[in-house]
Amino acid sequence: MTNILLSLNEASRTVNSGSNKVTILDDINLQVKEGEFISLMGPSGSGKSTLLNCIGMLDSFTGGGYTFLGEPVHSMKEKNRSKLYKEYIGFVFQAYHLIDELTVWENIETPLLYKNIKSSERKALVADMLDRFNIVGKKDLFPIQLSGGQQQLVGVARALIGKPRLILADEPTGNLNSKQSTEIMELFSQLNKEGVTIIQATHSEKNASYGSRIINLLDGKIVDE
Amino acid sequence: MLKNYFKIAYRNLRKNKIFTSLNIIGLTAAFGVAILLAMYAAYELSYDRFHEHGDNLYMVYSEDSTPNGIEANITKSEPFAAALRDELTGVKKITRYRGSGDLLTYGDKQLQMSSAYVDPDFFDMFSFPIIEGDRENPITSESDIAITEFASKRIFGDENAVGKTVTLLLDEKEVPFKVSAIIEDFPETSSLGFDIILNFKSQGYHAYERTIGRWDIENHEIYMELADAMTPAQFEKSTKDFTELHYKQEIQDAKRDGVQPHNGVYRQIKLLSFSDIRFANFSQGPVNVNRTMPYLVLGIAILILFIASVNFINMSIAKSDRRLREIGMRKTLGANKRQLFFQFWGESILVFVTSIGLGVLLALFLLPHFQLLFRTKATFEIFLNPSLILLLISGIIVITLVAGGYPAVLMSRLKTLQSLKGKLDSNGKNYLRNGLMILQFGIAILLIGATLVLQNQIEFMRTKDLGFNKDQVIAFPLNGKRNDQQALRLLRDALKSKPNILSVSASNNILGLGKDGSRSTSVLGFDYKNRGIETHMLVVDADFTETLDLNLVKGRSFKKNLASDSLSVIINESMAKQLNEEEILSAKLNLDDSKQFSVVGVVKDFNFQDLDRNIAPLTLFALPNWNLRNVYVKVAPHNLEESYITVKEAWASVEPNAEFEGSFLDENIERTLRNERNMMTMIGSGSILAITLSCIGLFAMSLLIVAQRRKEIGVRKIVGASVMAITVLLTKDFLKLVSIAFLIATPISWWLMSKWLQNYAYSIDLNILLFILAGGIALLIAIVTIAGKTISAAIANPVKSLRSE
Repeated sequence: MTNILLSLNEASRTVNSGSNKVTILDDINLQVKEGEFISLMGPSGSGKSTLLNCIGMLDSFTGGGYTFLGEPVHSMKEKNRSKLYKEYIGFVFQAYHLIDELTVWENIETPLLYKNIKSSERKALVADMLDRFNIVGKKDLFPIQLSGGQQQLVGVARALIGKPRLILADEPTGNLNSKQSTEIMELFSQLNKEGVTIIQATHSEKNASYGSRIINLLDGKIVDE
Repeated sequence: MLKNYFKIAYRNLRKNKIFTSLNIIGLTAAFGVAILLAMYAAYELSYDRFHEHGDNLYMVYSEDSTPNGIEANITKSEPFAAALRDELTGVKKITRYRGSGDLLTYGDKQLQMSSAYVDPDFFDMFSFPIIEGDRENPITSESDIAITEFASKRIFGDENAVGKTVTLLLDEKEVPFKVSAIIEDFPETSSLGFDIILNFKSQGYHAYERTIGRWDIENHEIYMELADAMTPAQFEKSTKDFTELHYKQEIQDAKRDGVQPHNGVYRQIKLLSFSDIRFANFSQGPVNVNRTMPYLVLGIAILILFIASVNFINMSIAKSDRRLREIGMRKTLGANKRQLFFQFWGESILVFVTSIGLGVLLALFLLPHFQLLFRTKATFEIFLNPSLILLLISGIIVITLVAGGYPAVLMSRLKTLQSLKGKLDSNGKNYLRNGLMILQFGIAILLIGATLVLQNQIEFMRTKDLGFNKDQVIAFPLNGKRNDQQALRLLRDALKSKPNILSVSASNNILGLGKDGSRSTSVLGFDYKNRGIETHMLVVDADFTETLDLNLVKGRSFKKNLASDSLSVIINESMAKQLNEEEILSAKLNLDDSKQFSVVGVVKDFNFQDLDRNIAPLTLFALPNWNLRNVYVKVAPHNLEESYITVKEAWASVEPNAEFEGSFLDENIERTLRNERNMMTMIGSGSILAITLSCIGLFAMSLLIVAQRRKEIGVRKIVGASVMAITVLLTKDFLKLVSIAFLIATPISWWLMSKWLQNYAYSIDLNILLFILAGGIALLIAIVTIAGKTISAAIANPVKSLRSE
């Protein structure tokens, strides 16, 4: 339980906005151990999403060091980085980001396609997942035919299908009503118990309370832990 | 994986029904038409390519320096071929070739055949395989005749032809020939065309016997096979002594007349590659080989494909922002660039394959109409050629790769986060789109402009006053068995009592191009007061000037009793100018030693040749018992139909077995404009397709832009913009593009068309209004295309559009 999953060492991100240099993340020092459930909190614009994206390697830090499972991400090539996150990281978004043209089944299957997993194995994995989330009956529906909660369920299922070590969730319940929110948070809590590390960004104290650790961000800095 | 790609491609295409169908319609039309046009071009370019020794086959002609500059002369004299072979090295094989039309009789069948008189080497040089009969020496004997399969069927039906005897009418005598061989039907793409082939020596007195040993009578063409070791240039160089020996007199005359030598010589024998003959122009100065037409057609095909591909590219790129989230998500889920590229490219391929398939069907469906419209016999068989198939397929692959691949590359390159957020920085990208649209409309405007100029020029040529009466005169060939004078007399008798027939005459050449499609040129050269004079020669029957309403400016026309005028000539003004006499009517022409002709009249210049040429000197003769090939009948101006039937019936009573191939002279003129008409139809339909496709693209763009700016439109309306202001706002960007296209296309169009018009001695003056009209048409169509969508967007309730955000 004491394995360190990732660590950030004075990580920062700045962007050029016109002639101004804007600092979005400032000297972030953070260690995440396996099995943690971290909630990032802070007002809009405090850098929660950027931090998540950078940790998820969708974006990159412009300064400092980032080590993931002992590998230095900051000095990695794009290709290796993408291999790394493909293998270990799953994403859940506020807006679900399901692919409209694909059915529930196909949406869940997609990450496996990009991992070049054989068809028979894919079938088994997707079927398991549908089973586990109780959405077998919905497998042939398109996202537009589902409620928001159901869509997010599919989103979580898709994030989990690749058996990631880390799930990054950016306001996963932001578009859901309270009942649906509770369901999703319960699910996260359950996953965490099963050993998946989770980092979520949230505005809600209630959601944050599901986590094992709360980090407060303000203006790109960790202010309180 | 692949299945997944196709699945999502299919669903995406279905979801965007409008764009998919716009794309497929546009590409289908483009591919269909491009296939037809490519077929036409390939057909034209394949002319005369089927001869095994084709690379070494040449036509022998000469470039003669004359007072009017260089003239290409493709007819040669009887001793020429043998002398060339004997006196020069490099002539592997050589044949004389005289094409003619003869009346063939077999039993009670009478058929007009196109005949070729050649030397025996002919069959060794050209690949006209013999499938039956004497394969070695089919026409070595002067009483042998070789016929094509096609002719054999016409003459003998299913009977075995070899060994049968037929007779030909030569110099008004029935001459028997024995069928020695059957020639396999050859491709349509042959510029040598014939039904029957005979030995050169089998010709009648006028065409052959009279010419033996004479260098001054030139009436046939010469083809030779050059030895492998020699280049045409080497051979041409080696003919210097030959020319100086055999054309001594002509060269001396040229020197005397002060003719400027060309490259130091007055006469140069030249070789023209056999496969160039189809595209060679012999009538204006040095021989000019010009394959513009097939390449132009190919060019139009490529332009149309380009326009349709641009639509595809523009729509794909513009549409990509609707798929940003998908792209972002796929990247997040682990897709790499390559995988994304193949996914989007797969979608493009799906569209292209569908369009190509439909395009082929469309082409198949349009083929008969196409053949009819362009009077071409081109078929898809032309594509049954491995290298051409390869070319076609690689062409299609390249188009799919570029047009389908470019948007795919762009999309697969997008940054993950950016696309997840659904934002696309659109800088730079629009330059490409705008550039491509300008190019599209530029092409469309260019083609529209060209069509308008072409149409004006054709109209000008069709309606120009040619100096003779073309509306009331019916002309037809004397194609019966009777001799011409007898036939004419009978015809005159038959028509004498008809009130709607005004007069009847005849001449040995046709004005315009008749239904039988044959015409000829006779040029006569003689010395007049120690100067060389050249004139076209036309032998006419009585009433010629009256029948054609030629305008007599001086002197008189021929007398009714033609025999008394057998030593009189009537000349045109251009000839009079050449003779340069104060008292032109006192001029006496010594054509050869024995006969002196006096000029009795001068007619105003009339266009006896096509309008791409200036009116040349012409002399009308009234020689008795001369071969007159065409009848002219002038009829009353009303009830032309009825008069036509009267003439037809009269001809049937004179020559019951002969076909009546009569047509009014204005139809004959129309026939000479066939090439121009073809070109106009081709460019015209190309321009219609180009503007339509461009507008499909424009329409799609307007849909997308309006969708993208929905919110902006809503906000603008809320702060008080009028419907008009919004419509203008949305429309003006596109119209700017069309205007830029106009500014770029017009000078190019002007330059190209003025170059084209230089081919014509009589042409319209280019008028800027025509080009403005072309631009105006394009602009108008563009406005109409986008008006619907922009106005409806401008009218829409702003609250609705804002709510959707």
